Amino acid sequence: MKRPALLVLPAALFLLAFFVIPLIDNGMRSFEDGDGGLTLSRYVQLMTDRFYLRVIGETVLLSAGVTVISALIGYPVAYFLVRKAGKWSGFVIFLLIAPLMTSIIMRTFGWQVLFARKGLVNNLLIDQLGLITRPLRVLNTPELVIAALVHVLVPFMVLSISSVLQGVDRRLEESAQMLGAGPFRTFWEVTFPLTLDGIGTGAILVFMIANGSFVTLILLGGGLQTLPLLIYQQFNTTRDFGMASAMSTILLVIAVFCLWLQLRLVRRRGA
Amino acid sequence: MSMVRRIDWSFFALLAFVVVFFVFMLAPILVVVIVSFTSAGFIAFPVPGWSTKWFAHIFQYKPFVDALIVSIEIAIGATILAGLLGVPACLFLARSRSRWAGAVMTFLLSPLSMPMIVIGFASLFFLSFLGFGVSFAALLITHTVVCLPYLVRTVAGVYAGLPRSYEESASILGAGPLRVFWHVTLPLIRPGIMAGSLFSFLTSFDNLPISYFFGSASTNTLPVVMLSYMENQFDPTIAALSTLQMALAVVGLIVVDRIYGIDKMTVAA
Repeated sequence: MKRPALLVLPAALFLLAFFVIPLIDNGMRSFEDGDGGLTLSRYVQLMTDRFYLRVIGETVLLSAGVTVISALIGYPVAYFLVRKAGKWSGFVIFLLIAPLMTSIIMRTFGWQVLFARKGLVNNLLIDQLGLITRPLRVLNTPELVIAALVHVLVPFMVLSISSVLQGVDRRLEESAQMLGAGPFRTFWEVTFPLTLDGIGTGAILVFMIANGSFVTLILLGGGLQTLPLLIYQQFNTTRDFGMASAMSTILLVIAVFCLWLQLRLVRRRGA
Repeated sequence: MSMVRRIDWSFFALLAFVVVFFVFMLAPILVVVIVSFTSAGFIAFPVPGWSTKWFAHIFQYKPFVDALIVSIEIAIGATILAGLLGVPACLFLARSRSRWAGAVMTFLLSPLSMPMIVIGFASLFFLSFLGFGVSFAALLITHTVVCLPYLVRTVAGVYAGLPRSYEESASILGAGPLRVFWHVTLPLIRPGIMAGSLFSFLTSFDNLPISYFFGSASTNTLPVVMLSYMENQFDPTIAALSTLQMALAVVGLIVVDRIYGIDKMTVAA
């Protein structure tokens, strides 16, 4: 039974009208000079001004840092889930997915509760254990922003790696061991290279989401200035919409590049 | 023997790492649940006593109640619209192997990969230009854009995993395309629609970066009101509201799982 291709038309047209055209419209606004002419001045400013360069750099560095940390933390967890958890794997998956059911606001609030001056951590360290005398200052540090972003994104990394690890042919590892490689050498030279695709898929996903995140940054601050935060501020206070459009376009270009990388990786794996 | 012991040590090191990892993952969530039951008017440890008054407080604060209603209406509306648009598309895309269909599929999923704040900002201006401005309709349209991929992905995943033979038999026996869809295809893909709708509902309900731009007294969603509340005060109401929201999400997940089996679907997708 063949179905007509016409069935995709409503969805495709809807996205064209309310997703693609608004983004193009937004991109055009970043080139308008206000007198009906076109200008590149905003992009020149974004690419030369010290402040904006720092913001773009901080955005990319923050996302990259979160991605690397998520991979470093996520890999052992994925390895445990696939290879060691055995009959507990269902429970491990549940623990991994459960946080995804909570709102971003709840998790951000959780960090505030943990590290507030009279929060749980300071209470434990000062009153209960007497390890320190002055409250720790963790709120409003870049480190906490990074930890909070890793907390949101690391499950995606674990799931990407474990789905690839699951497909690794165990006989390759057995052959390596029979040929005399120890467990560590077998891991580094056989298993790890075979799971690079999983790390790649997870890394792109994590980078992409981290790049656009801003709720965590607004509430946990840390003095970090990123593009999403600046767009939010431009909209709220400065009201320089042309500049906000230019910054959104830069974010969008980064996202499209990530999407392109993602598609290439999927296609390579499919081939 | 020494070989066996070394492997055991690395296993315990890994296990310890995983335990620490899950403490990290669960601590910020559990601590909110604990705080939501405090009797104190501030957040401090140790918790002086227990009470459920903060849950009652949610419903005494009018902006929360109004926003809750808006959020539910938007999440249900966007999910229904996404289903009406997405399900027909899946019927074609999941069965087609052409490159063209693959490209359309990527296109339908692409809103997932774009920064939400950019979608929100761009839509606000474009929809204002069209005359929608800051309105319920504008919010609904933009939420539908980001809900659509969740439905398409789940429904297409389930449908692609089904054998063609059921529909073919019905068709050979003389059922028209509409009857085949209604009596054969729809019951088969219903698990995908339910799971996709759940993800879609939760995504919309939790969305802040889009809803933020469409904020007004009558279109503020719950996360927007929660954010502005949090910027001004630090009391257990937010904890109670978050806990309630999580409980509802978990109940939704369990219900859909019991009726349709979510684990089977994630494997199919």
